[in-house]
Amino acid sequence: MPHPTVDLKNRHLAALLAWMVPGLGHFYQGRTGKGVLYSTCILSLFFVGLWLGEWRIIYWRWVSPLANTEAFCFNYLGQFFAGLPALPALIQATLRHYGHDPILWGFMAEPTQNEINALYRHGKFIEIGTLYATVAGLLNFLAIYDAFDGPGHVAEDEPAVASTTSTEVIEAGASA
Amino acid sequence: MTYYGFVFPLVVAIALVYSASRHEEWPRIWWQALRLCGAIFGILLATTVVLLLINTQV
Repeated sequence: MPHPTVDLKNRHLAALLAWMVPGLGHFYQGRTGKGVLYSTCILSLFFVGLWLGEWRIIYWRWVSPLANTEAFCFNYLGQFFAGLPALPALIQATLRHYGHDPILWGFMAEPTQNEINALYRHGKFIEIGTLYATVAGLLNFLAIYDAFDGPGHVAEDEPAVASTTSTEVIEAGASA
Repeated sequence: MTYYGFVFPLVVAIALVYSASRHEEWPRIWWQALRLCGAIFGILLATTVVLLLINTQV
């Protein structure tokens, strides 16, 4: 009986797509079920977190992590991996860095200190929202790796992994 | 809904995504996600009990 194979297609493209939108890389690879699972879990966590944080908890500042540890946005390092949904924060921070006004009505632009203080008066929802959005980004890191390299553990009765590149190498070897 | 309720979707999402990244077959994904959920909740519960005991004894 032939051993079934997971075709990763172009794994670099799949990883890029998986970063851009959680699950998109798996849809590209034809792993629709996994794509649905990843996009549902990761995007739900991300947007529920954003909503709990009153749409103001995801932002980025261009500061040195060594020179200005207080102002450095550690959370965004995780949130960044949620892909395009977290990208406005990077764009807004870059615009601010070069002295431009924010776009998109200030969505994901860095709030003022007064706004941050006001947010934290709402209690734990802000912390929970930040945690949700950060964990969502970190979970997408797993999904990106799965799109790039296939499942971490392949048992005897599970499909083996092949990318376009490795398949081409095998075919070239067989024809030689 | 108390703040503690927010841990459930978080743990379920972590368990499902982790299991999906480890396996390709759905029965294995569901089974490992279930076991992982149980393990995480068990550890959280045990930790809470220990912390509560310490807190009431000190």
